Amino acid sequence: MNVSRRSPRAEARPPLHRQAWLPWLLLTPGLIWLLLWFVLPLAQLLPVSLSENADRFRMTLVFRGRIANYAEVMTQYAPVLARSLAYAAASTALAALIAYPLAWVIRFRGGRWKGLLLALVVLPFFTSSMVRAIAWTTLLGDDGPLLSTLRALGLPPGTRLLNTAVAVVGGLTYNALPFMVLPITLSLERIPTELLDAARDLQAGPWIVFRRVVLPLSAPGLAAGIVLSLIPAAGDVVNAQFLGGPNNRMIGNVVQSLILVQRQLPRGAALALVLMALMTATVLVHVRRHGSSDLTLS
Amino acid sequence: MPRQAQPVPAPLSREEPLPSLGRRRFLRQAVLAGGAAALGPALLAACRSGGGDRKRRLVISNWPLYIDPTKDGVPGTVDRFRKQTGIEVSYSEDQNDSVAFFAKIQPVLAAGRPIVQDLFVTPYWLAERLIRLGWADPLPLDGVANASRLIPSLRKPSWDPSGRFTLPWQSGITGIAYNIEATGRPLTSVDDLFDPRLKGKVGFLTEMRDTMGMLMLADGKDITRPSYAAAEPSFARLEQAKKDGQIRAFTGNDYQDDLLAGNFAACVAWSGDVAQLALEQPKLRFLVPPTGTTLWADVMVMPKGAPHRQEAAEWLKFVYDPATAARIAAAVKYISPVAGVQEVLARTPATAALARNPLMFPDREMEARLRVFGPLASGEEARFDERFASITEG
Amino acid sequence: MRMGNALLMGVAALAYGVLFAPIVVIVVFGFNAPLGRFNLIWQGFTLENWLHPLRDAALSQAFATSLGLALSASAIATVLGGLMALALTRHRLRARSWIEMLLVLPLTSPEVVLATSLLNLFVQTNLPRGFGTLLIAHSLFCLSYAALTLKARLVEMDGSLEEAAMDLGARPLQAFRLVTLPLIAPGLLAAFLLSFSLSLDDYIISLFTAGETVTLPLYIAGAFQREISPQIHVLATMVLMASVALLGLSVRSGRSA
Repeated sequence: MNVSRRSPRAEARPPLHRQAWLPWLLLTPGLIWLLLWFVLPLAQLLPVSLSENADRFRMTLVFRGRIANYAEVMTQYAPVLARSLAYAAASTALAALIAYPLAWVIRFRGGRWKGLLLALVVLPFFTSSMVRAIAWTTLLGDDGPLLSTLRALGLPPGTRLLNTAVAVVGGLTYNALPFMVLPITLSLERIPTELLDAARDLQAGPWIVFRRVVLPLSAPGLAAGIVLSLIPAAGDVVNAQFLGGPNNRMIGNVVQSLILVQRQLPRGAALALVLMALMTATVLVHVRRHGSSDLTLS
Repeated sequence: MPRQAQPVPAPLSREEPLPSLGRRRFLRQAVLAGGAAALGPALLAACRSGGGDRKRRLVISNWPLYIDPTKDGVPGTVDRFRKQTGIEVSYSEDQNDSVAFFAKIQPVLAAGRPIVQDLFVTPYWLAERLIRLGWADPLPLDGVANASRLIPSLRKPSWDPSGRFTLPWQSGITGIAYNIEATGRPLTSVDDLFDPRLKGKVGFLTEMRDTMGMLMLADGKDITRPSYAAAEPSFARLEQAKKDGQIRAFTGNDYQDDLLAGNFAACVAWSGDVAQLALEQPKLRFLVPPTGTTLWADVMVMPKGAPHRQEAAEWLKFVYDPATAARIAAAVKYISPVAGVQEVLARTPATAALARNPLMFPDREMEARLRVFGPLASGEEARFDERFASITEG
Repeated sequence: MRMGNALLMGVAALAYGVLFAPIVVIVVFGFNAPLGRFNLIWQGFTLENWLHPLRDAALSQAFATSLGLALSASAIATVLGGLMALALTRHRLRARSWIEMLLVLPLTSPEVVLATSLLNLFVQTNLPRGFGTLLIAHSLFCLSYAALTLKARLVEMDGSLEEAAMDLGARPLQAFRLVTLPLIAPGLLAAFLLSFSLSLDDYIISLFTAGETVTLPLYIAGAFQREISPQIHVLATMVLMASVALLGLSVRSGRSA
């Protein structure tokens, strides 16, 4: 490939680190890993999604070019897909509404505690998400501490949180918080304080400063936060499983059930690919507009 | 090298000296440890294939709280078996979801390799599937003379007509558990689960046959020869209740959390669990619906290629001894498959009350309510699974 | 303005409150003495669980498996990812944006899709599922995080230091060992720790690829069905404490570099 290409500087003095083949040598192990365990398995899903079960318990398939698999899962699970996207959108919006002020406080009011405040946002995620889910069931239960307190304050009895959409969206929002706070803080960090001072010197009120200066400049961070929250939320399994009820299942639960419980690998693969296509499209749109660097928090 | 229950990589020991290490050395240590861990399984796998073992071993997998444990210095059944036979038993209580368990063992058995277990306890319908797939070995019944002392209803059952592949561990009754304080009244029928006053406080089981069996019987259908057509009205009823928000959740064993935490007022539940739970929550009641309900069995299966047949035979003989079976029954409070247990329990004052419990020893009236969910032909089963999943996951 | 300020502070305080609510429950319930087998309702204070954190043998074994898996997967991911990051930042590549996209995509793919595709691959190739397949899956999703974290560090770093070293007569490998490696060590540690925590916490991908191996999250999900021992909360608290310590360590080492 690039082996024969030489940069002009390499002509003059070709030390090892400028050899054109060196980067490819460094890249090869990682690229092989990605091709073998990411690209290949994904590519393989396509023929599987067009197959039919030969024996669902032995997981043997026959390829039949069965496009109907897609039509079937789309008609049957369109409501679940719509629900998943709605939950993901709601949790992302909520997370943005909470995370932006938080990032603002960390950036402009954090002072020397900035690092600590940021670390505190990440810290809860060093406990097992599974144990956190169990903790939420304790907190949100009908006789749990939260509802008991609210009832004492006048909440009508019979109000439920656990096994409702509110709990699922809440759980998704919680998980999205660090992915929202970090990129927004990073992008606010890049706004020079002098710029804000200059705007104020020009008699701009706080709202104008925010709308005309800060928001546009932090937009890439916000956009990255949205993508980083939306995608895990849309494909989430755990929150609906532990905090939701039977009317709050998400597409991830369906894929899991199709494959592990109903053992319908072809239809599971079809649904997974639909989800993947939707998410990849979102990422591509984002990358075209903002580049990929904010997505990687760099 | 003998077959290991789990390949455990050994980098744990690296944890200890961590604080005294410099940062860079820690990094190197961690990488080394990681490398060792990466190699570990490969080495274990290499060892696994070679050589036979001389030690007498047995690997059993069962559901939790399904045997009498060693407690307060009194040895439980597993320990007594170890002591009496000298067999090294690995007894794990790692069954908690039969569908997930099948997903685990399926690729191994399909590839013609033996799985870790010599014996595992699994629901009757899954045993039937394993037999059909040719993934179960016949049990070493020659060495188990007392296996003939089964209670009559469990001899040559519908899931194992030849009686060669399974022996029952315990059976039980699916019923309705409820907290009488939360319901405010005793429940009397399956219809009570659909009472709007219990909206959002009702649980059903993800175990399809138990949920659907009870509903179909309430609809007057025969579940010993189930068909999809007969089940459809019950499916529709379940689906409507779900849409209305009547059903809070479909659960496995975790209905117990919800009952104790007050999230469920009533739910479909299993007899022995509720007897055990009632010790913690005295307000719990258990109803066996008069319209009928499922009698199920968890059975012992020997997976294809399990190496310790002789040891398995000794285990079966041991647990089918009425004295041992009585200890197990007293601890788990399900229906013992061994004839004579009732008499053993009745002889001891501490357990005499158990001998009169119709949930453990169904009397005529109780027996009249109990049905076994019959085998489903493969295509029928897929339709049942799909329809049920469309309700629980849709 | 004053009101806006108060509102901002209020939202921030509330956010921290919510973030730590489940953490408080986890820590507190490690000291609970549950009556039955589900540690979900507060019954009374005890130190018993902390005195015997490993009493639950199956839990301890799952924990050991997860630690071994996380260590090995992070090691693979950090090494492979580090090499890729070096190539992407120290060399001009025409294919660079393509390779970066390839690294970003696993990160932005829904976990359940990765899980499905890997399971299918292992089924089709008859690869026995267990620790090996878990290692493949975990090292894969950690690789992207590790490579991109390290890339960010390398971009910040001045490449001219290596050139200077070589101008002073150091051979390239020598320059790498003496100049580059010490400089990126904090980045390597950060990438390793990030991979480690991701691997330790993974549920969905493990569920699909584990075979008969039981990792900690798989064990806990199963425990939800049968017995939630307080030891689960104790171990979670311990992991949290270790994370705080390591976080402090990496912040300090990051500062000194």
